[in-house]
Amino acid sequence: MADDKDVLRDVWFGRIPTCFTLYQDEVTEREAEPFYLLLPRVSYLTLVTDKVKKHFLRIMKQEDVEEMWFEYEGLPLKWHYPIGVLFDLHASNTALPWSVTVHFKTFPERDLLHCPTNSVIEAHFMSGIKEADALKHKGQVINDMQKKDHKQLWMGLQNDKFDQFWAMNRKLMEYPTEEGGFRYIPFRIYQAMSDRPFIQRLFRPVSADGVAHTLGDLLKEMCPSAIPQDDLRSLRKRASSTVLRKTKGALALTIIQDKSKTVR
Amino acid sequence: MTKLHSSNAGTFAKMSDNADSPTESQKDDPPTQQPPTEDSGLVDEKKKIDVLLKAVGDTPIMKTKKWTVERGRTVHSLSQFISRFLKLEPSEQLFIYVNQSFAPSPDQEVGVLFESFGSDGKLVLHYCKSQAWG
Repeated sequence: MADDKDVLRDVWFGRIPTCFTLYQDEVTEREAEPFYLLLPRVSYLTLVTDKVKKHFLRIMKQEDVEEMWFEYEGLPLKWHYPIGVLFDLHASNTALPWSVTVHFKTFPERDLLHCPTNSVIEAHFMSGIKEADALKHKGQVINDMQKKDHKQLWMGLQNDKFDQFWAMNRKLMEYPTEEGGFRYIPFRIYQAMSDRPFIQRLFRPVSADGVAHTLGDLLKEMCPSAIPQDDLRSLRKRASSTVLRKTKGALALTIIQDKSKTVR
Repeated sequence: MTKLHSSNAGTFAKMSDNADSPTESQKDDPPTQQPPTEDSGLVDEKKKIDVLLKAVGDTPIMKTKKWTVERGRTVHSLSQFISRFLKLEPSEQLFIYVNQSFAPSPDQEVGVLFESFGSDGKLVLHYCKSQAWG
């Protein structure tokens, strides 16, 4: 898997052109200009938006500024979800650039986690890596790595350094050839219309008969409604597209389903 | 007296869905708590899971360690429950760990953690006043 360098690079260097606009009710000393930025899909909002903060802080008084947070069409954006997941989940069907609104007041406590420093992001990121390795290798690989190796993983992400990151991550992506795969595949299925945050369950990479599982097998078992079926009788149309992202040793699947209303 | 969950031979106490303390306000509700739906396709599954809480280091030990918790309860909500139970100061932090290795996100549901990391029919969680496993 670590041989698919082209795929790995394409995933790592995926970008979303984004337009950041200041919320209209924020108090400014001058007219706020929008700020444009290419966001890395594999990173986190609060890690890559220092420039956005600096841009808007230039025209605001300190007393009018609290913790920065982002919103898309009224929905607070969870910084602890990878940027690519946020975009695919909420805005993939819209025209680029992605229009995100920036706030500096009325932090939505019920919807968002606070992010006072980068170490909070680092802790969250490393926890995800450990959780994924717990599923892949019972945590043995991540535990055998030294603290400086963990730091290298984080620095690779923070500084957008593919080689630095993958020098360490490839260890987390290896498995004994006789096993045919990891112990379990770390995945999360996000759905646009769902009352649960995501689907995450145990799933083996190989069936009991020794046949390698496909993405289709995973979806069939975990999210059968994601597989398109034509139902001519009720005129109900379902369009679903699956966006696959393989990163940081874990699989994040965003499933966008669009169910139009049934005509009676 | 701790309440006993009827389906568990009396060994796991029921963790109240609401605030433990009568003075808890809405503000203490966890962010993004999402209870599971009826038609999630898992109709036979219990709505609650069994949790075993273990103290780390010099963190006070809970008198009741075994709890039955709603699947949709978040880690944050559980953390608040333990803090109140142990009567910790508001300034004191509490860290929750799974597999003695990672700290799940506060908005993570315990039911999901149980599915992936439960063993012998229960989810073991370690709690600590300081960062135990980074």
